[in-house]
Amino acid sequence: MKLVLTLLRKELLLFSKDRVALSLTFLVPVVLIYIFGAVFGVNRTSSGPTGIPLAVINESAAPEIAKLVEALRKETAFRVVESTTDENGVARALTETEVREGFKANRYRFALVLPADATSDETFGLRLKLLFNPRNEIESQMVLGLLQRTIYTEAPMLLLRSLEKQAASAIGRVKTDRFYDEMAATIGRSFGLDAAKVRESMKVGSLGDIVGAKTSGSTNGEASNFLERVIKIEQEQLAGAQVKNTGATRAVGGWAMMFLLFALSGSATSLFEEKKAGLYLRLLASPVRPSHILWSKYAFGILLGLVQLVALFFAGRLMFGIDVTSNFANLLVICAAAAVACTAFGMLLAAVTRTPAAAQGLATLLILTMSAVGGAWFPTSFMPELIQQLSKLTVVYWAMEGFAQVLWNDCTFAELLPTVGVLLGIAAALIGVSWWRFRTGPVFE
Amino acid sequence: MLVVENLTKRYGTLTALNDVSLHVRRGEFFGLLGPNGAGKSTLMALVAGLRQPDAGRMSIDGVPCDRAGAASATIGFVPQSLALYEDLNAEENLAIFGRLYGLTGAALKARIDECLVAVGLQERRRDTVKTFSGGMQRRLNLAASLLHAPKLLLCDEPTVGIDPQSRNAIFDLLEQLNRDGLTIIYSTHYMEEATRLCSRIGIIDHGRIHALGTLDELLEQLPSREVVTFPRGSVAPGLAAKLEQFGALHERAESRELHLRADVRLAEFFTATAAAGLPDRLFQLKRPTLEDLFLHLTGKTLRE
Repeated sequence: MKLVLTLLRKELLLFSKDRVALSLTFLVPVVLIYIFGAVFGVNRTSSGPTGIPLAVINESAAPEIAKLVEALRKETAFRVVESTTDENGVARALTETEVREGFKANRYRFALVLPADATSDETFGLRLKLLFNPRNEIESQMVLGLLQRTIYTEAPMLLLRSLEKQAASAIGRVKTDRFYDEMAATIGRSFGLDAAKVRESMKVGSLGDIVGAKTSGSTNGEASNFLERVIKIEQEQLAGAQVKNTGATRAVGGWAMMFLLFALSGSATSLFEEKKAGLYLRLLASPVRPSHILWSKYAFGILLGLVQLVALFFAGRLMFGIDVTSNFANLLVICAAAAVACTAFGMLLAAVTRTPAAAQGLATLLILTMSAVGGAWFPTSFMPELIQQLSKLTVVYWAMEGFAQVLWNDCTFAELLPTVGVLLGIAAALIGVSWWRFRTGPVFE
Repeated sequence: MLVVENLTKRYGTLTALNDVSLHVRRGEFFGLLGPNGAGKSTLMALVAGLRQPDAGRMSIDGVPCDRAGAASATIGFVPQSLALYEDLNAEENLAIFGRLYGLTGAALKARIDECLVAVGLQERRRDTVKTFSGGMQRRLNLAASLLHAPKLLLCDEPTVGIDPQSRNAIFDLLEQLNRDGLTIIYSTHYMEEATRLCSRIGIIDHGRIHALGTLDELLEQLPSREVVTFPRGSVAPGLAAKLEQFGALHERAESRELHLRADVRLAEFFTATAAAGLPDRLFQLKRPTLEDLFLHLTGKTLRE
């Protein structure tokens, strides 16, 4: 027993002196829990997506359609975009053509077109057009559900106005007003409301609150079926329709990025092993300079990353039937850009740490954080606004953007260039910091 | 061949080399003898261009030794650590290092063959380095520094931690290389190695060269030519004190050493001890060594 206690004491002593082990045991998990909590929004009072860009092209002059747009603006899940600025900086309403272009650049994944005849005096009902890019399934389902809810909540009021217009046209204004006065009285009696207030609400279009509450409680019932018959929502999928295995195509890029980051941070720590083995003494005594060693490491990382990503995508093709060949040249371009950025990240880890263990600890922390924040695990639109903004600083986010553009949107090289530019820009910044650290740090001393 | 002038290197507040100057002639086997931390490896690293001095200059045949690497093609560096890729075989290791010096194709293959034969590893050329014994790894470490046929070989304690047989094999190889005209600078803290191998020796401690010359020239600096040792306790303390009239008495772990003054004749000493009743068999006569010189120069032993 005494011997066991002595050995136990030894274990505790060694552990207490191992700062990396201490960090990985206590500090890193706490930091990760905090970050994951922020990513998943565990402290938020509301759940669900926030700030998803929703382009709205309102070509209708009808006030009830304006009410619908107003309702969409109030929905926190959406960031309604209705206007753009021209070359003179003057704001003007978006056009459908511009929005369709915006889909290609991934500025929008959802757009609602409210045509000039969304409601008309001639026909009863409502006509809308929804443009969407379901590159993220969870997000798409959530957005479509929210849109339906908002439209159906407003629908009774819209339909009432539509009906009223038609009635006025057919039987005259006086008879129509009488009819609606009687209907207000009936509603007032049925719901225990003041008939005059009900009639006033019908005029200003806020009766939907009352009736909407009733219809939303029976979405699977007759009211819902009725609404579906009279509200015509034309849906048009602008991207991804050609994708064979949508689930795998969406997911494999995120997984690949995570493994790539782990692989490249591991290879970067070989700097420490070579230094420890004394190899730099021999290499630097030869015509080799530190910059040669570093560039060879970068080149190896990029090559390894490119091969690994392509191999993983082809594995995805074999296992899940992902189409990686139809836009293969652009897939290579984005894989190369991602490999450059991930290599730069791995080298930064080696530059800012002093031991392989410290580098691996930091790598675990940063890779898991970047994967979560960058959207490798679930859509960034479900994260709090701040985290969504931070996600755009990560390599994972932009690499996944690029993969989606290639595999989902079937983009052209020109359309892919901005994403490639961002990845290379991040890489340049990381390489700059690393280079400075390598020059002043202990690796080549 | 190698000219070092007023070289100083500091690491923070520690001065690793302090105004060191020396000349190494072509074809010399030059030894740097000093304890750990004396500044040997720092001097080697500076000559190899691995570090930048804070002051002073170095050149090989007029070409400056600096981090720009102008002189690197003329230098072979055998680091103290085993600077080898353990997961690669001997041939692959040598091919990598040879290519760094511009060797390719048949010339590279020929040099690899020559070097493997020279270090006696031609039979193990396809074996991974991690399967080698410590001695074999040391020999391959040496071979990797010879591929490009350097003019100057820097050996930084190249026999650390190996068995006597492998050590002798390395000594034989280095002696042969030196006979073939290669200039060698060899750092060690073993006086036996310096004594056996080196034609000229610099004694270094605390970043300073304390003495420089051939073995005989160095030993000339000692005040005594002979050392008489006798077991502790074999001579009464009072009598031992009397022996100090012949030279300096030093206490060792198990013996005492009397470093006879240069003007004392051995016959005179033994006549005196016989008169004191001390038999001749108590005393052993030995030549002074570099260890004695180091003690004389620095006041401490090489192992302290």
